[in-house]
Formats: sequence, C-alpha cells, structure tokens
Amino acid sequence: MRLKINPKKCTGCGSCMLACSFAHNGVFDLRRSRIHLLKGNPLHKEFIPHVCIQCAEAFCVQACPTGALSKSAETGAILVEEEKCVGCGACVDACPYGGITLQPERRIPLICNLCGGDPECVKVCRLPQAITVIP
Amino acid sequence: MEGVIEITNRNFGRIALVNLPTGKVDQKEIGAEFCTKYLGGRGLGARLLWDLATIGVKPFSAENPLIFACGALNGTGAPCSGRLTVTTKGPMTGGYLKSNVGGRLGITLRMAGYDALVLLGKRAAPCYLLIDEEGIHIKDAGPVWGKGVKDTCAFFYQELGVNISTACIGPAGENLVRFASIMVDAYHALGRGGVGAIMGSKNVKALVIREGVGAVSVADPRGFGDAVAESRDALYADGIQPDLYLYGTARDIDLLEKFQILPSYNHQRGRLKGQSAAHLSGRRWSDQYVTRRTACGGCIYGCHRLTEVSSGPYQGTFSGGPEAEALTSLGTANGITDLEAIMRANEICNDLGMDVSSAGATIGWLMETCERGILGKEDTDGIDVVWGNAKAQETLLRKIAGREGIGDLLAEGTKRASEKVGNDSWKWALQARGLEQTKVELRGAKGYALSFAVNPRGPDHLHAQVLTEFGGTPEAVAKGIEITGDEKLVRPEIYEKRAELVRWHEDMYTVSDCLGICSFATTAAYGIDEVKSAKLFQAFYGIPLDAEGIMRNAKGILTLERMYNLREGHRGRLDDTLPWRVIHEELPELRERVGAALSRVSPEKLAEMLDAYYGLQGWDQQGKPSIATLTELGLDFAISVLERRQAK
Repeated sequence: MRLKINPKKCTGCGSCMLACSFAHNGVFDLRRSRIHLLKGNPLHKEFIPHVCIQCAEAFCVQACPTGALSKSAETGAILVEEEKCVGCGACVDACPYGGITLQPERRIPLICNLCGGDPECVKVCRLPQAITVIP
Repeated sequence: MEGVIEITNRNFGRIALVNLPTGKVDQKEIGAEFCTKYLGGRGLGARLLWDLATIGVKPFSAENPLIFACGALNGTGAPCSGRLTVTTKGPMTGGYLKSNVGGRLGITLRMAGYDALVLLGKRAAPCYLLIDEEGIHIKDAGPVWGKGVKDTCAFFYQELGVNISTACIGPAGENLVRFASIMVDAYHALGRGGVGAIMGSKNVKALVIREGVGAVSVADPRGFGDAVAESRDALYADGIQPDLYLYGTARDIDLLEKFQILPSYNHQRGRLKGQSAAHLSGRRWSDQYVTRRTACGGCIYGCHRLTEVSSGPYQGTFSGGPEAEALTSLGTANGITDLEAIMRANEICNDLGMDVSSAGATIGWLMETCERGILGKEDTDGIDVVWGNAKAQETLLRKIAGREGIGDLLAEGTKRASEKVGNDSWKWALQARGLEQTKVELRGAKGYALSFAVNPRGPDHLHAQVLTEFGGTPEAVAKGIEITGDEKLVRPEIYEKRAELVRWHEDMYTVSDCLGICSFATTAAYGIDEVKSAKLFQAFYGIPLDAEGIMRNAKGILTLERMYNLREGHRGRLDDTLPWRVIHEELPELRERVGAALSRVSPEKLAEMLDAYYGLQGWDQQGKPSIATLTELGLDFAISVLERRQAK
C-alpha cells in the first residue's frame, strides 16, 4: 500500500503531523513527525505534505551500513530496527526524494511505516482528502 | 505505541510577562489548581486581566495589558483545537474584551513553551516580538511600520523564512482606529472590539513565532488518544458536514434569505429590494473564486477559504473569506450586492487591519445618516454616500484606516460618531455599549438577542452561538429538545426558554474558548460536548474533572468577566441592552411572516428574558452576581467590587 498525496487539497492544518507524532511517540512534536508540510507561497497558503513514497529501489535500505532498514513484505513500508541504527544519517542522504528526517536527540530516521496498515494521518484528513491510501 | 516518552509531571504552563519599555521578560509558572479553575485561553486571560489591569485603567493607557493566552489544548491533536484568545480592556466599550482566533498562532505559541504572553507598557519606538528557541526578542519594526498586513507578512517570510506564525496590525491599528484588528497568518482576524488598536498603542507591530520549536506532552497519552478519536468521530458524523468545509460560513446567506432576516440597508429591511441575494451564498460562488480551502492549526474541518478575482475591475483582489459576516456587513447591510466589490472591501479590511463588522456598520450608519439628509456631500469629503455605492465604501474604508477627513470621525465607531453628529442619528447606530452588533438579525432570533445583550464584550454572536434555535441540523434540533423539552420551541422567533438555551450555549462556548477548541466544533456542529471536553482536559493534564465540573468552572469564568465589567463601570441591567432599532422598530419582513408582536425585541420581553437569565445565573435583578454565587464559584476575591458599588 501507499499514501497518495494531493497537495492542492491540503488545508495546512497540520493535523497529520500532530497525529503522526502522537501515534509514534505519545507526544505532540512536529520535529518527530514522519510527515511534513512543505510550504510554497505562504501568502497563498500553498502546502505540500511530504512523506516516504515507498519507492521500488529503496535507496535508503541499500545505503544503511548496519542493516537497520528493511522493506515490509506486507505493506511495502520501510521499517527501522532502532537497536541496529547508529544514527549516521546515510539513509537521509540516499533518499532522492527527501522523505526522511532524523529524530532530534537519537538521530533515528523518521520514516513513514504506514502505521502497520492503518495510517493515522489519513484519519484526520477525511474532508480535504489531501492524504489518502492506495491499497 | 512505540518509544513512548515518559512524562509524568506536565508543566502546568508558563506565562511570559514582557515589559515593553525595558525589554525585560518575567516568567511565571501556573499551578494545577489555577489551571483547573481557569482552564486556559479565555479563562486564563480573564483572570490575568483582573489581576494585571489596575482598576479604572484607560484602554489606551500604557498600563492596559494585552494578553495572548493559548487554549488548554492548543498544540495537541484534539480536533479543531487551534484557537487562542487575546484579552484586554477594550477601546470600543471601555470594558472587558476578549477576541479569539485560529490560524497557527495558538499551536505555535504553545509549542514554543508558553501558555500565555502578556505585553505590558508601551515601547518608545515601533517594534515587533520574535519568539524562537532562545526566547523572546524585541526587534525594530521600522521597516514594516505603515505597511499593510500582506506586505508585513511578506517581509517576515523573507527575513525569517516561511516556518513562522505571525500576528500583526495594519495601518488601522497604528492609527488607533478603535475597531482595528490583529491579523494572524495574514487572513485570520482577531477582529472584534479593537485589540489591534491596543497593540498599536503599545507600538507593537507584530508577534512572530517560529513553528514547532518544542513539544506538547500529555499526562495520559492512552486516555487522550481515545478521547481524541471519540471527538473526531462525532465531528465527522455531524450534519453540518460537508457544507462547512465546502462553503464555509458563506453558506449561511441561504438561511438568512430563507428566513428573510438578511441584514439589509442598515437593518431597515430583512431582504434586498427587488433582487435575491442567492448569488452571494458560498454555494454559488465557491467553484469560481476559491483558490484554496485552508484551516486553522489542528482543525479537521477547515472552513476557511482563500479567494481571488481573476478578471474585470476587481482583478487581483485576493484574501481570506469573504465570510458571511463580510458578505452582510460590507454587502447587503450597505445595499452592496456586487460580490466582487464585497471581496475587494473584505480584502481592504483584512489588509489595513480592521474589523469587517464594525467598519461595515459604521459606513452603513453614515449611508443612512446621509439618506436622511443629516449629512451631505459637503460633510463627507465630496463622496456620494448612498446605498449600494461600492466605490464610496472602498474610499471610506481607506480613509478610516488612515483617519483622513470623514474617516477620522468614522474611526471612532458609530456610538461616538453619532454623538458628534446628533440629530437622533444614535437611533440607527446599530450598537450597544459602544460596539457595533454583528450581522445576526436579532429580531428574528431571540436567543441570539439575549446572548448579545449579556455578552461581556458587547453585542455579537461570539458569546453564545444559539444556532440550536434555527434547528438547521438533526443534532441542533436534538440539542434544542434536550434543553427546552419541546420540539415546538426549536424556533428562532419566539421568547420561550431562551434563557435556558443561552445558558447552556454560553457555558459550552466558554469551555471551547478555554480549551482552544473552535466553537464550530461544539455549538455549530454539536460534536464535542461537555462530556468529551472534560475527558480531553482530564487526560491532557491528568487532573480529575468531569462534565459538571468543567461547566461549573466555565460559569465561574463568565461570572468573573461580569465582575470585571461591574468593577469598571458596567451598570448591570441598564447596560444589558440591544441596539435601539432592534428594540423599537419592527422588521417588516418578520411582521408579515410571524406578526407584529414577534417582529422586534420589545423592552418588556427583553426584561423578561433577562429576569429568567439572571435567575439561572444566581444574579440579582440588577444583573449583579450575589455574594453566595461568588462564594460558590470560588470568586471571593471579587466580592469587594459589590461592596464598593453598594457604598457608592
């Protein structure tokens, strides 16, 4: 499965980031979200939700020197084994799409894992439908 | 839940007191007890105003504090929880003023680590405040002083990047136009009552906050997650959707036209002469003009829209809205029916930083004053001020913001302007206590009429949206029956049980304002009620509080606002009043439909509604809370106000 993004429909409310951060960390912190809102012209309120697109090549998995990253056979999402991660950031550099950020303190990569198949961000975007799921 | 961060002691909130003349910032912590009693946002602001404003302080005096208070749930994933409240002593009424806003300001301030920011004193030269990881900095606003809101925001985006939230005034605020607004993220207005003039009087152009610099933690994440999901489900199920998302408040024009209570020609009529207003409904024009649907921080509804005019004489007009309030205040109420002209007027108000309601109403008052021959072209700088003259309105708006010529008189609002002009012109000044009423036709909505009369900041719908009486959705009807006990009483024109309706709605509205939840989620949609609000609050802070408790605390806050007004000279019952026209003149369309008796809000009927309302509140017949009520609500510190009044 994949997330489908339609930037034109994004209202910029940021509920996706709040929901993401809370679901994975139990705290509301935009720096810990795995989805981010990029901004175009702020006076025109142009927002572009940005998140891992589960590309077929998975450059991040290839780049990881410790084998901490893998692709889920079930959902196709990139999974992170935190114990193996050394916080080198090679995955961030390898991603051609800019879909990965690092968690601020421990430098663990923040990559969308599709919440195991029921993404929280989609639940808060029901009206605008800027983020939807492609099965 | 993976990697849960253990946070047991939630910080109960930090208040920053900024001394503008010296630049020194004092920080104070607030405790659990204070947090429970005043909840946050509006409640926090009300108590801070009580404590920080000296008795009898003049609104434009440097000593008048300007308080930005985050809603208790700002920065959380609680649905529609991005609303912040600004509190001060207002320059229109000379009394309590709160103004509430969305955008991203509330969640951004909260994430920066502050529950409230208080501006004290007056800066010698124009400045702006920058809040970032390192703290609060006061910067020179020289480059943006005099600029409109869009240009000011563009400057900050250029200087500081796009990941900021801004709250700034336009020229109207700098020039102390009494109804100047503060504009948040360019298009969200802290509109009513003149908070922008107070900011201008302090020489503060803007507040700029870096986004997402900190975290907001929760005492009971599991409980909070459950409460959020429950509230969200209720909101998605509510009958107000998807219209509110698709058309915003602009869809209300349909309802106003249907009931023939569309404010027209300064409330002389309930519909336009010889034409329909259907073309002004959001349903009609959204496809053509909306460039983007936007939302406040944390809002899953999203009722805000940006619009652009792409051709014709108004080409290039671009702003947020117009909302129903602008479509009436700057449109039908002034006989203006050209949608694009209204969009232009709305853009001007937003960019110069003025409240569309008061600005439009002041021009409407002038139009009627000219129609009656009391003022003429020689008094209006040669402008032909007649109903429907959109160009005249545009010129007048600019003159008001600049306080030029006739604009200087209008910048004072209708009460003060009509006192100067005389000749009974106060009778068609649609104001009470100095503030212009918003565009609800009160003669056709008696619950609203009562709520306008008792609203501590002056007559408008943002104290208790008694939408229930219109029964617009199944949820509204159900709520109406729950409160009144009778489906036949879910009608807007009648007087029965209005006090009961107002009482629940105003308490619920107060809870919304305190938690920072949008009132559209609590009393337009009826998704988040007192039970869900209490659950959210309790899980967030880890403080036990049930539905009854949260509504009691809301009543305490309302009573404190009342006491603040009494302390500052409000005359109780005498000042719980409505614009003269609403009380004394029948609305023709309403007379035809429901008869003469129900087509105005007569003094006797208003008095009856007030009697019932005071009774429910534990206030005496003069509209003053009793000592017993104050004690019961834990407001003993306010009793001395009653004693002082007694002594007078």
